[in-house]
Amino acid sequence: MKLEPLLEAIGNARVEGVTVERWQVHGTESRRLSLGIKDREAGNAHAPLSLAESSSARYLLVWSDGLVCKGTLERQQDPGLAFQEGRATAYEDEDGAHVLGPAEFPEVELYDEDTAAIAGGQTDRIAERLQWIREAIDTVGARTWSGSFSASAADSRMLTSAGLDVRSRGTSYGWYVAVDGEAGDGFSARRPEDDMAFSARLEQLMRTAQQVGGEPRTLPAKTHSVLLHPRVVENYVLSTLMQNLDGAAVAHDESAFDRSGFRSGRASLRKDIGLSIDPLQPYRGGSYRFTGFGLPAARCTYIEDGRLVQPILDVKYARRLDLEPTPVPFGNDTVRFGTPSRLAYRDALEQTNVLVLSVLGVHTQDRISGDFSLSAPLALAVSKGAPWSRLRGTISGNLWETLRSDDLVFVDVPHETTPGMLFPCRFDSK
Amino acid sequence: MLRQLEELTALGAEMARTANAAGVRLIWRNQVRNSRWTVVRQGKVETSAASTLSGHGAQVVTADGRAALASRDDFEPEHARKLLERAIETAAAGQRLGLQAAEPVAFERVTGREIPVDPAVFAAVDLKRISARLIELEKEIAARVAGPSLSVSYRSELDGWRIFREDGSDVFFAMPRCVLGMRATGSGNGGRHGVSATLFSADPGVPFDDAQVDLFLRRAEQAAQLATVLPDAPAHPAGSFPIVIDYALAKGLAHEAFGHASEADGFRSSILAESGRFKIGESVGPETISIIDEPVAGDHAWQPFSANGIPRQRAVIVRNGKLEDALSDPWSAGPGGVRLTGSGRAESFRSAPQPRMTNIRIESSDALDAPGRFEDYGPEEVRALLAEAGVFRRHPRVVYLSGYTGGQVNTASGDFVFQCKAIYDLDERGVTLYKPAIFSGSMFGALQSVREAFGPLVLDAIGYCGKWGQQVPSSGGSHYFLVLEPHESVGLGGRE
Repeated sequence: MKLEPLLEAIGNARVEGVTVERWQVHGTESRRLSLGIKDREAGNAHAPLSLAESSSARYLLVWSDGLVCKGTLERQQDPGLAFQEGRATAYEDEDGAHVLGPAEFPEVELYDEDTAAIAGGQTDRIAERLQWIREAIDTVGARTWSGSFSASAADSRMLTSAGLDVRSRGTSYGWYVAVDGEAGDGFSARRPEDDMAFSARLEQLMRTAQQVGGEPRTLPAKTHSVLLHPRVVENYVLSTLMQNLDGAAVAHDESAFDRSGFRSGRASLRKDIGLSIDPLQPYRGGSYRFTGFGLPAARCTYIEDGRLVQPILDVKYARRLDLEPTPVPFGNDTVRFGTPSRLAYRDALEQTNVLVLSVLGVHTQDRISGDFSLSAPLALAVSKGAPWSRLRGTISGNLWETLRSDDLVFVDVPHETTPGMLFPCRFDSK
Repeated sequence: MLRQLEELTALGAEMARTANAAGVRLIWRNQVRNSRWTVVRQGKVETSAASTLSGHGAQVVTADGRAALASRDDFEPEHARKLLERAIETAAAGQRLGLQAAEPVAFERVTGREIPVDPAVFAAVDLKRISARLIELEKEIAARVAGPSLSVSYRSELDGWRIFREDGSDVFFAMPRCVLGMRATGSGNGGRHGVSATLFSADPGVPFDDAQVDLFLRRAEQAAQLATVLPDAPAHPAGSFPIVIDYALAKGLAHEAFGHASEADGFRSSILAESGRFKIGESVGPETISIIDEPVAGDHAWQPFSANGIPRQRAVIVRNGKLEDALSDPWSAGPGGVRLTGSGRAESFRSAPQPRMTNIRIESSDALDAPGRFEDYGPEEVRALLAEAGVFRRHPRVVYLSGYTGGQVNTASGDFVFQCKAIYDLDERGVTLYKPAIFSGSMFGALQSVREAFGPLVLDAIGYCGKWGQQVPSSGGSHYFLVLEPHESVGLGGRE
């Protein structure tokens, strides 16, 4: 979206004698291609090959009487009218009435020509990989499979009244496959992975699909040595941690971590656990050049040696908590979580009774208390380092207790950036 | 607010002519959704904003049955023409990708218009006045329940759609939605715990409607009280128990367990289908139980036409314990062996519609009486209701699951999960509170276990359904309470 008409409208905005004193606009123009596969049918009417074009701008206006309004402007909207309507929603927000100025922005590799071509409608790469998946599915004799491919390309620019003017051009690519409606895996980044990495992930998925193919057995209902697969760690553990680290949640006492905990220096988690991001890594899904409020991307630590270092803070909540704004997590592949040393996957399996591959009901959990009670429809019983039967059941416990426990071990799992987590956990078979 | 959609008549006719000339089927979806929301905390506005989502999506199906969808966020005629051309080219090229060809069942040309509110009422929503009112409500809740941290929210939305097809169909509808919400976070020695309460109305003036506000405050008060005691409540033991669920959880059971599995686009893997066809007539529950999905006027999930421009039908998914209807659209009805119910819904003009629920409920043909409002029933009152009905003679201890916070299902295996807001053990001596835990198991086991129902139907349990990454409003309910016998395939997660 061209931002000049917006800037002109901001300059001309006047409602009952009030004008715009400070502002921030962030425009994005994007193209996207997606394709769904439902029960072996690629691109049927419920998941067609889709092409989308969009253009919009998010804005923050601080009026001369101190009131603030914010919103999103669509391609076709008249900016002058939109800002007048925005004025009608303006409210007092002392902490939210600030915009950032110029800074040095890192050059981060986010754009891939081939991915941009896919986003524009070039489907050769997708056709090739779709064929590989079909062949792999046939090899293992799966009854059905579903999945998706997507690619997008976007240009964005942010401007503020304080002189910030920064642009970014990026692409995104991803795929996901679920076999027989159960075992699933996928990949997402700024560009496709190479063929070898794609094949390796696909092969691993097919092995898992075969392992979970039999009738489920039961284990005695008790505490077992449970290994959460990295997908489960991302899905439940990381998302719960991030929500509790969110500056708004901390400021409103809606987090398990209270604000004093960030200054006390005492360990809130076990003393060797850390959580940080590195959004500067080339072509990672979670990499970026600047945040949605104009802060340059940078490495950032939220938890170190079990201590809370800082919440995830935008400008508003940084001011409210009297701290500095921070870079924000954008994708799991730039998150570093766990302990400096990790157990090798093969060694971890030797100590595992139950390998949990997926959970249902993550969004229903109370994120603050850390109490969890999750259905684990896809799990494997493991004995002497090898899976021997499928399991179905529930896992339950408390995440904060787990992250403080000496029994917790982080595990390096091949092809994954996120670790697995091995710990004693209640498992009830179904 | 819907002016842009009103002005599309000529362009809609032109798009239909272009599609006919190209020999393709066209469903051209145009949408304008205006939303306004505000959140207050501690007597101040935390955020307040208005937004618009608008644009169009042209879904094309070629003569040999291959589909493509192209979308753009404006209504410029020149861009719309180009987009249609691109969708036609893309669908035609689909053979190379091995795209699936499918022939829809026949569906009739439709013209219709259902706009149940004056759009000007939504355009006139004054967020400053509403924020001031929410601050009053927050004070009222804080006066009733001291301690928890509170936030009170309001959201109004008028979601307008106009759908044209190449057969001359033209349907225009708008769905009004307003939600008052409250979240309370309580603290104790056992940490913190959050509990929410909501009230839906189709009227954006709901914060000023005394009767509605009274109901909202009662729900908010109950949630805030729960938030103060849950942090220090013990965890419930895991296992299978006799269980009482309220109507919101019954909605969760109907939605997660049976609703999704009866969506006909999933019949090639659904447990309610065999060889891709719905198992009509199969017994799945007691003869007293039926599960019905239909749009309910004035409801959060009301939608009179599908996103393919087909009138939405009532679907009796389970009638007297046996499967009868599926939720279908033109592409899934034929292969699924079911009648067309016009159940296609889409999150936005960018999305391809899929068979989805609207308002789904579990009905019992022999519900027992439960006088008064649902909100009059705390755990003690539920216990008295069960005692009077003789339930404790069968089971000395019954586990009452209260409130619904979401769920999920695997339609291939029939495994469902949902989470409640709180658990109470009820017995002849009294009530004991526990922290919430996941309720999960086999959908058949759960429905077969329904033994008693109490009270009239309440259908206002609202939520959002996220099938295939598309969020659409959902709702439903049941009688005030359902009693489920213990079943080995259905259990409560928990601690030792």
